[in-house]
Amino acid sequence: MRGERGTAALAAALVALAVSAAIGAAISEVARTELVLAQTRRAAAAALAAADGCLAEVMTRVAPGWDFADLLAGPDGVAGNGDDGSLATPPGCTGGAAPAPGAAATRARILLRIDASAGGGRRALQAVVARGSVPAALLWLGTLPAADAIGGSLALDGVDPAAGAPAWASFAAPAPPETLDAWAAGARVASSNGTLPAWSAGPPSLAALAALVLATPHGDAGTLVTSGAPAPTLAYVGGDFTVTTPLRGAGLLFVDGTLDIRAALDFTGLVVASGGVRVAGGASLTVAGAVWIGSTLAVDGTVGIRADGAAIAAVDGFLPLPRRAVILGQQDLD
Amino acid sequence: MSRGFGLLDLLVGMALGLVVLGAITAAVGTGGRLLRNASARGEGEDTTQMAVEALTFDVRRAGYDPRATGVTPITEAVADRVALAADLDADGAVDPDSEETTAYICRGGRLSRIIGRQSLPLADGITSCAFRYLDEHGTALSLPAAGLDAAARARVRAVAFDVTLLPSGLAGASRRTVVVALRRTM
Repeated sequence: MRGERGTAALAAALVALAVSAAIGAAISEVARTELVLAQTRRAAAAALAAADGCLAEVMTRVAPGWDFADLLAGPDGVAGNGDDGSLATPPGCTGGAAPAPGAAATRARILLRIDASAGGGRRALQAVVARGSVPAALLWLGTLPAADAIGGSLALDGVDPAAGAPAWASFAAPAPPETLDAWAAGARVASSNGTLPAWSAGPPSLAALAALVLATPHGDAGTLVTSGAPAPTLAYVGGDFTVTTPLRGAGLLFVDGTLDIRAALDFTGLVVASGGVRVAGGASLTVAGAVWIGSTLAVDGTVGIRADGAAIAAVDGFLPLPRRAVILGQQDLD
Repeated sequence: MSRGFGLLDLLVGMALGLVVLGAITAAVGTGGRLLRNASARGEGEDTTQMAVEALTFDVRRAGYDPRATGVTPITEAVADRVALAADLDADGAVDPDSEETTAYICRGGRLSRIIGRQSLPLADGITSCAFRYLDEHGTALSLPAAGLDAAARARVRAVAFDVTLLPSGLAGASRRTVVVALRRTM
């Protein structure tokens, strides 16, 4: 009898064990499935984030300009060879560029394809890239000067007085953001409240802009006046230009050399100096609009630049200014 | 000396057997409920996640416009409905009968994705569901009952989506909030 009871107890225990094992296995399978799904989602999300990041980095490398001919020509900049359409991309992704449908002749829009791998996943996306607005930076520098080059004062006001107009960046230069921030602090650049932070950008395409100016009816330094309200116009100075008496101007002043200011220059619009700007002690440069400099900036006097989108739009009406690359749309491919 | 197997022994044995059987039944029942709940909870989370991913996918590509014909990314912006458009095949037009036109509708406890003219239920058991429309500063635009007009829709830079799903028989709900930016940098 004791043997029969033992057998029954063993059977009951085995049944309980089997049922428990089955339930445990089922729960384990559910958990495993969820884990696999979560890992797949995580990999896909990581790869998508990498693709987005890669596209953002590629976009920052696209210099402001008029079209995308240089980008479509590939890294060597020469069209018609094997590297046409290939993109220089950060590690972890690859990319290519091709003219967008309907824009092949003008190169005004392109399609960027980005393939990225990260976290065990892989994603691809395609973006439509076009030229957007004129770079809204008060001061666009071709090179970042030494901080002690700003011995005087440099005040930047990025708040456009027009109602609803977007704020401007304080300055742009070809350097990483942290370098720009450090320079602004070291040079004691005074930015008004509301001015956007500096942004990394390649140097302005001043040679191409000079060619455009020369191909457009324009005047020279004589368009600057000593008093009164100057009419907006295009002015091109082929060489260094020194301001020794107070002058006023409006429109575009393109100095294809060094702009040396030893008095007061008050300008509404865009001031361009391919060879740099020097502002002597006691002198001043006051601009409502923007200043683009191909080389160095040295300030012992006073420089004040404030945003004026209308003034830049007026210049853009005389001749098309270079524009930033913008994303018109994007779709995930796989 | 054995006196055999008496009535008392039988009763005690049966009582013990019933106790053991009850314990096993209770364990099996509890395990089964746990399994069902875990499966339902997992399915609810999956469903919610897939709905969010589908919306993310469509919002990201809204306004895709390779021919620059002026495709409007968001064609309808209401609290319980958003409609999106894209020129995916680059033919210069948005086909209302294809996936170039998608919409998401939360009504009657169901979240549906409308592709062209086809409705695809994404989730049932929706207890709350709302779309918000954010401007360039990340501020939610004031949303009239009739939805945003064209001028307000042009200011939208991101779509926020809050959804809660509670499958029947479950106490715990699945919640997601996602903010998806339109892929336009102009």
